[in-house]
Amino acid sequence: MGTEKSTGTKVFSLSGHIKRPGNYEVELGFNLKKLIYDPEYGGGILNDKKLKGVIPGGASTPLLTEDMIDVGLDYEALVDAGSMLGSGAVIVFHEETCIVWVMLKLIHFFRHESCGKCTPCRQGTAWLEQLIHRIEQGNGKPGDIEKIDDICGNILGRTICPLGDAAVMPIQSAIKLYRDEWDYHIVHKKCLVKSDFAF
Amino acid sequence: MAEVAKKEGSTSRDTKTVTLTIDGRSVTVPKGTTVLEAALSVGVQIPTFCWHPKLKSIGACRMCYVEIEKMPKLQVSCATEAADGMIVHTDSDLVKRGRRAVLEFILLNHPLDCPTCDKGGDCDLQNLTFAHGYDDSRFDFQKRRFIEDGVESTFDDLRIGPEIILNRNRCIHCYKCVRANKEAFGEYDLGAFERGNVTEINAAPGQQVDNPFSGNLVEICPVGALTNTDWRYKIRVWLTQTVASVCPYTSSGSNILFFKEKHQNRVYRVTGRRNDDIDDGWLPDITRYGYQIIHSEDRLRTPLIKKEGNQETATWDEALAVIEKRLGEIKDKKGCVCIGGLIDPSLDNATLHSFSKLIRRTLGSNNVDFRIDYRMLPKTSSDNYSILTSRPFRIADIDNSDVIITFGSDLLKEHPNEYLRIRKACNFHDSRVFSLNPYAVKSADVAELELVYGIGADEAIIAALCLAGVEEKLVSIPNPDQLKEATGFALMTEAAAVCGVEPDQIKIVARALAKARKVTLIAGELVTRSRDRENIASALCNLNRVFGIEEKGQIAVLSRYANSMGARKLGVLPDPPAVVKSELTKLWGGWPDTEPRNTDSMLVNMKKEEINGLIVMGADPIMLYPDREFACEGLEKLDFLIVCDLFESETTALADVVLPICSWAEYPGEYVNLEGRVQQANQAIKPLYESRPGYEIVELIADRLGQKLFESDEVRRIEIEKLLEVDNGLSWPDSFVNTGWTNEEHDDEFTVPLAVGDDPHHCGHRTEKASSLVNFCGEAYIEISPGLAANYQIEEGDSVRVESPVGKIIVPVRISDFLDNDVVFIPRNFSSTPVTSLLMRKCRVDRVKISKVVS
Ligand code: SF4
Ligand code: FES
Repeated sequence: MGTEKSTGTKVFSLSGHIKRPGNYEVELGFNLKKLIYDPEYGGGILNDKKLKGVIPGGASTPLLTEDMIDVGLDYEALVDAGSMLGSGAVIVFHEETCIVWVMLKLIHFFRHESCGKCTPCRQGTAWLEQLIHRIEQGNGKPGDIEKIDDICGNILGRTICPLGDAAVMPIQSAIKLYRDEWDYHIVHKKCLVKSDFAF
Repeated sequence: MAEVAKKEGSTSRDTKTVTLTIDGRSVTVPKGTTVLEAALSVGVQIPTFCWHPKLKSIGACRMCYVEIEKMPKLQVSCATEAADGMIVHTDSDLVKRGRRAVLEFILLNHPLDCPTCDKGGDCDLQNLTFAHGYDDSRFDFQKRRFIEDGVESTFDDLRIGPEIILNRNRCIHCYKCVRANKEAFGEYDLGAFERGNVTEINAAPGQQVDNPFSGNLVEICPVGALTNTDWRYKIRVWLTQTVASVCPYTSSGSNILFFKEKHQNRVYRVTGRRNDDIDDGWLPDITRYGYQIIHSEDRLRTPLIKKEGNQETATWDEALAVIEKRLGEIKDKKGCVCIGGLIDPSLDNATLHSFSKLIRRTLGSNNVDFRIDYRMLPKTSSDNYSILTSRPFRIADIDNSDVIITFGSDLLKEHPNEYLRIRKACNFHDSRVFSLNPYAVKSADVAELELVYGIGADEAIIAALCLAGVEEKLVSIPNPDQLKEATGFALMTEAAAVCGVEPDQIKIVARALAKARKVTLIAGELVTRSRDRENIASALCNLNRVFGIEEKGQIAVLSRYANSMGARKLGVLPDPPAVVKSELTKLWGGWPDTEPRNTDSMLVNMKKEEINGLIVMGADPIMLYPDREFACEGLEKLDFLIVCDLFESETTALADVVLPICSWAEYPGEYVNLEGRVQQANQAIKPLYESRPGYEIVELIADRLGQKLFESDEVRRIEIEKLLEVDNGLSWPDSFVNTGWTNEEHDDEFTVPLAVGDDPHHCGHRTEKASSLVNFCGEAYIEISPGLAANYQIEEGDSVRVESPVGKIIVPVRISDFLDNDVVFIPRNFSSTPVTSLLMRKCRVDRVKISKVVS
């Protein structure tokens, strides 16, 4: 069962803007697009909106955009796609979700989760939350995005436990994949997308 | 590579080595060494915050990054074990960027209040930021501020203990304070609370940071988060210079640095001067704050002469003239045997030696002793007790002893450095510790097993151990019957029953002793202070014989004061061991032909008016002698008493002439620690007021009596050197020694056994003058077990009257966390409540009765 290298099955927790959220046990290598859209599984995006992105392996994994989801849910394929299999907590969000807002939620979680033992994570997650918060609030300053990216680089691979990496990987990918949304936030002091409801 | 918990490097038992390359240099280190230590060993500096040479690495601050080839990420050198073939770069661009980032993170919320911070100029964060950091900040938010009582302020000054002030805003979360407290001192009065970037260091809820090693936390804090009232805001560090010295309160002789102002004649603080053979860089608070007595307002400033019952200020000349006249009179009328001398064994070699020469050569008697706070001293110095004080002992060897036994000692109070060593042996080397005491002590908190035996049954518990060795066939000795006869017990169970300890527990200790690869056995003040010390020492000699302790380790009664060992080696005893005596005879060309008189017999003879004159150097017998009434009676009968001291005391109050002596900071001196190691205390400041060093006073007195003690300082130095070279080690008895134990009858009225010793924040009679130490503990108390308190219906803080057949005192109650039998403890350090007034010199066990004072 599974692929040649990733054998067996795995339970994926499908959540977010999805019609049929829940736990699905599928073979490794199962197609992500199918998991989301197949009526037997996710059944498509809530209110039939357009898919904006997926966090495929829990809050700590880099994002996949809509055009990247035709991918097998196994260790190797997801790494090739620039993300990770992680915990199998698949979070789906649709076109009307502000990526800055998503990242604020995530970094809020990680900041709160940081134990405080090592410097980069203890200080860095809090600083990142402050920066993303102000961008989200429409108070971002030119240079903030570069600063965030740089701080992420100073945390990645520099902490005792993987929480530091976990906190910064989705942010780095969100900046890479949705840069225009971040820039819009800073220039226009509001969201690029119509974003009036939450998960 | 996985980060490894660092093993304490200096005493690693591993002999394998690894070779790696650091910044192009090949380095070979023992296996288990961290990359950081390997780098340090060849002088490559790597900046650190959370690393401490004596603590386990936690890799928290991330300041010590290095780049190791073939490893994609930066590695923290303090938590990475050096491995063969590693190629390490400590200053590559990547490393530099990593450090800069860490400093940026640390500084985000740091208040940067350096101009008003006491640590300014002495701060690791300041130094490393200058060396490796950005000169600007990219952080444009308001800094996090801790809020106390609704007030948010940079000056977050929280008093978390009698001495320590905490500023949480400045804390950089290196956790060294909490780790040292826990790992090195076994204390939990300080902790880290909350998590993430609101983590805060603080005192444990409802507690004060007041453990007897708490001063170290201030010293190791890399920033100004922990400061103490001792040093805070008094002076800037760059206005001071350091002078190396040693501690006059501990017999191990902790190595210290005085910080003195360059132009003023004043010492501002004391810090550690790490010596891995002695103190590992940790100072007990008595050492750290005890220096304050130097500048106490109460210092004696000038000589005093008693005129018509009042002591009046005098010049040195006047005082010496009186001494010349009065001592001369006694000498002429009654002879020299009528003059005696008592000296404090924390004084330096020169003073001790001059003093002994004054008594022996100028005055021509053997009335000299340094043992002032012990009862019923032996007549000779060649007894079994003296053997145990003269055998080789090394503090550092505690580290690698797999079995450690403490016997009759509240080590924490008597020998704080050795206590920490034992903790370390437990933490880093899994040594097994056994504590044998007649009452439970805090020091036993590291022990695997604490045997609390019946008070006064010291010989019996040792006998039980010896017999267990034989009965359990753990050892084979040629003549077991002789052992039985010597101990007075036929069976181990008999001895165990006498001391009230389960035979099984005794067997555990005996087994450990027999199996041990290396043993350290430390016997403490309970042995030395006991009336029957010779019996107990004999029992220990038997124990050594049965288990061959010294052949695989060390066994000793540790000397108690800073220079007791020096005093012994220099023969400042009425009847020094033969080797010392013959060296002295050789040096001086003669030996007084008088009966040797120790402190006890001097006091007896004073009472009988057969000793009429006494010179007391630096001691306060009334306060310390374990029978106050007896000491007073003797001293009061004297015709002429000279007392040299730093402060007025009850003894100086009786004196005809009082002479001010210098503290150990005011002249260079040599001290011999309990291992026999000679250590130098340099002069930090000029003599204060009109005080003079002890040896100078002694020489002035000798001059007046018509004898030049030493042709020159050089002659004195050579004499001392010769004596120190003499091996005064006595050899073990060659058969089992009788210990003859008998149970002491006691009065039905006085039933509660009383233990007397030092408070953990005090030593002897002088530390009362150190204000910081008084902040920790400023008055006497009685420590009693919760059970006994319930019996008497007394609560914490109640006042109780403590009575013995000879005296009574009133003290507040402290209910002890660890005492669990009927023994009570009262510290002897407070002149307002002299506990020695309850003691009787002829008792084996002092007993008292307790009653609540109803107000
Ligand atoms: S108070 Fe000082 S020693 Fe303790 S964690 Fe903070 S910076 Fe480190
Ligand atoms: S010194 Fe190595 S991580 Fe702190």
